[in-house]
Amino acid sequence: MHDKQFMRETLLEGAQAFQAGKLGRRGFLALCGMAGFASASVLAGRAEAAAGEIVMWNWGGQSEECHTSAIGNAFTAETGMPLKFDTSGPLQGKIREMVDSGNVTADVCDGDLFDAVALGKTGHLEPIDYSVVDKTKTIDGYALEFGVSIILYGYAFMYDTQAYPDGPPTSWVDFFDTERFPGTRSLYKWANGSLEAALMADGVEKDQLYPLDLDRALAKIKSIKDNTIYWGSGAEAQQMIVNGEVSMGMVWQNRGRSIETDTEGRYKLVNNGAIAMPGAYIVPKGNPGGPAVMKFIATAQSVPAQLDLFACLGMTPTNSEAIAAMAESDQPYSITSEQNFPNVVLNDPNWWGENTDTAVNAFLEAIS
Amino acid sequence: MRAIPRHALNAGWILVLPFVVLVGALFLGPIFNILWLSVSDPTPGLGNYTELFTSDSLGRILWTTLRVCVICTAISVVLGYSIAYAMVHAAEGTRNKMLGLLLVSFWISVLVRTFSWLMLLGRNGVVNSTLETIGIISEPISFMRNELGVLIGMVHYMVPYAVLPILASMQSIDGRVLQASRSLGATGTQTFWRVYLPLSRAGLVAAALLVFIINLGFYVIPAVLGGGKVLMVAEYISVQVLVTLQWGTAAMLAALLLFGVLALLFLMSRFMKLSTVFGGARA
Amino acid sequence: MAGIGNSGSLHLKSLVKRYGGFTAVDNVNLEIERGEFLTLLGPSGSGKTTLLLMMAGFQDITSGDILLDGQSIAAMPAEKRNFGMVFQGYALFPHMTVRDNIAYPLSVRKRPKAEIGAKVDEMLDLVHLTDFGHRFPKELSGGQQQRVALARALCFAPPVLLLDEPLGALDKKLRIEVQAQLKEIHNRVGTTFVFVTHDQEEALSMSDRIVIMNHGRIEQVGTPSELYQHPRTVFAASFLGKSNFLHRKDAVYALRPEKIDLAAAGTGQGANTVSGVVQSVTYFGAMLKYQVQVPELGEIEVDVDAWRGGTPVAEGTTVDLTWANTAAVRLEIEPK
Repeated sequence: MHDKQFMRETLLEGAQAFQAGKLGRRGFLALCGMAGFASASVLAGRAEAAAGEIVMWNWGGQSEECHTSAIGNAFTAETGMPLKFDTSGPLQGKIREMVDSGNVTADVCDGDLFDAVALGKTGHLEPIDYSVVDKTKTIDGYALEFGVSIILYGYAFMYDTQAYPDGPPTSWVDFFDTERFPGTRSLYKWANGSLEAALMADGVEKDQLYPLDLDRALAKIKSIKDNTIYWGSGAEAQQMIVNGEVSMGMVWQNRGRSIETDTEGRYKLVNNGAIAMPGAYIVPKGNPGGPAVMKFIATAQSVPAQLDLFACLGMTPTNSEAIAAMAESDQPYSITSEQNFPNVVLNDPNWWGENTDTAVNAFLEAIS
Repeated sequence: MRAIPRHALNAGWILVLPFVVLVGALFLGPIFNILWLSVSDPTPGLGNYTELFTSDSLGRILWTTLRVCVICTAISVVLGYSIAYAMVHAAEGTRNKMLGLLLVSFWISVLVRTFSWLMLLGRNGVVNSTLETIGIISEPISFMRNELGVLIGMVHYMVPYAVLPILASMQSIDGRVLQASRSLGATGTQTFWRVYLPLSRAGLVAAALLVFIINLGFYVIPAVLGGGKVLMVAEYISVQVLVTLQWGTAAMLAALLLFGVLALLFLMSRFMKLSTVFGGARA
Repeated sequence: MAGIGNSGSLHLKSLVKRYGGFTAVDNVNLEIERGEFLTLLGPSGSGKTTLLLMMAGFQDITSGDILLDGQSIAAMPAEKRNFGMVFQGYALFPHMTVRDNIAYPLSVRKRPKAEIGAKVDEMLDLVHLTDFGHRFPKELSGGQQQRVALARALCFAPPVLLLDEPLGALDKKLRIEVQAQLKEIHNRVGTTFVFVTHDQEEALSMSDRIVIMNHGRIEQVGTPSELYQHPRTVFAASFLGKSNFLHRKDAVYALRPEKIDLAAAGTGQGANTVSGVVQSVTYFGAMLKYQVQVPELGEIEVDVDAWRGGTPVAEGTTVDLTWANTAAVRLEIEPK
């Protein structure tokens, strides 16, 4: 989910440049504050979460609207507690900084399950209260001590039907075969998903992937490096395809449908070997809203909320009841639907929670 | 004139003191925090700094950053110099229009520029498809998603920054000095190399410093236009802070950039007065 | 003395410079002789600087021609004309030492190093700046900078030296000193000097000939004494020195204040005698300046040698003013 973070940061950069013009005024206010002229609020810092409400830390854009309609409305109706948002993107580094600074202003983060492993271990998270949250309403193994998976996204690839009219690529093996399938490819540059894809292409069975053999994966990645470009955000991945820069491209699986529509079917999504990523709700240590946040997480597990999140964001439900309730036409685009499930890989949050730093840096070194 | 009495000076300082302390704290505090992190995370010591010598990848990232920044600075400054020269010698109306266009370009967000370059110079971009249609090329030229793309994007972003200091120093050149050169028998070329260029040198140095220092912090353009293959230090720092949580490495690199820039300014100050570089015209 | 420099003659033929509808230089014809010190004198806007810049090659010529020793140079770019030029404000190269400034015209001509060094030494000696070669212009006084500019402009032995108000930035005392030095240098090098100024004293004291300019035209050309003694126009008579203008029948006469004698009423003896009342008297040390109201002539200014003139005449006294017939000069052009 770093894509939105990336977009956001780049947009923020523009905003900062704009704000630079106001620096004089802001500097002045800060000085006034020192001199005692301005109220303490000028210097007070960013957020104002309080008991009696839940602040969700997510990635902005559509997700704010979708989280309100899918979870927030039902949660507020039931508890009377309003749902507010901090849309600055809860990357691990930011969560750690927030907890370390002692100024915790968010109750629940729309993060990854491997964040729960990494940050839980270092004491930056509250444990999930499974007396409120239901372990059975998620995929086996995705209800962890410090986080529970609410939705799934994932990595799949799309190909240009015009580039390969006589037999399209059907697997990661084909994706990494530049002889039979010439043309430029794209991969995710922060390692996740790309490593699993490379190993599958190199002949590793999908149930034998973890622990990932980094050296083997990177060797495979390097073997097609000259034919590969790398993206850092979902928007970028989408653009590489829509602009025709690549003839095969890794994408966020949940975007596959809209890309097929945008390219009028020229590019097709391949779910075979897709890597399902558990998106998780995690709670920063010392969250201001207290235990009530568990009720919020439980609300997100309900069937209506799950279906709404799929409709709104394209994120696949983790609650099997919700998947069963999905329309037939939606099944191909749901990464863990009955037809897709046998062919997909489930990401191992424990491996990634332990090894993200090594994997990302090794990957960056391999591609740069 | 008599010297201002001592106690009057002290009173002035006392009035300003809170602000000095505040600014100092707000400015130096975070810097010391970074420096501290770089020697304390994950374990106390100089481990993060020794990584510089032991890690191939850090060396490569720094080398990429340096290479791209130097090339970009050189091109930007040469282009900026030409544009400033044209502006100084244009009629006043034209000059104002040019300045307007230059300033407008500051308003265009870096993301918009980046994606515009992709549309223009990408594999199926306007340029490539035009060239293919008229038969000049059979395969698209790879302008983007590589180091060339990064350079194009960065130069485009930096040229206006290069123009302004150069323009200021060119405008402060006395036209009679140039006439004098010609009246003394120097050709246009001789006048340029021996009089005009030395007299605009302060602006040139200021522009080069400004562009280079801003370049060091570039993140979005290399990330997008480099197709992931051109990894520069700013992006690497961001990944270490936000994703891999290796804050010590990030802080070490940030400290390295800081000291690199300071060293650059120091070196420059050995050769010329920095006040002439940043203060514009000389007396 | 032949002089150590070069010298050339300039011939300006029907020169015209127009900017849009404005005529800055209007049909100027002038012969400038080899080795002379010629001054273009006029108020600001009279076209004198434009004329100089046309000779230098920094202003296009609308029509007419410029000949150097009989050869047209009108189409020649400034750097090919080989004229020295001293600019207003000197226009020294701020990034070069005095030596490098002076060596510049030789080094752009790619002369051998030894020759350049010797020539620069010679020029530094000429302008009395031998010990200042290593300094930068901003480390020199205004007068010293002016001399560097002069040395730089003369160092390549130009046939003509053009000077654009080179003393304008100096204070009065220094200016008189530098005038003498400039004149001395002119005598030593023998180069043709064309000097632009709006200062009549400067023009009178230095020039071989003066060209008085007004509204883009030449009013009168002549030696200082010719111009002073025999102005032909009201403008020439009033711009160079002071004049009383006497309107007689159909002509106007210029009468210099110092050519009038002042005597007690009824004692005036001369070809021309008028009676008037002293309005004011001002003491200038060397002379006394009287304003005398003469019924038939209006207010007349009279300068009297303070030493020989005895006790000043009090205001309100009636006096006689007398002057010789040759003192009043008949002007060619009617005043408006």
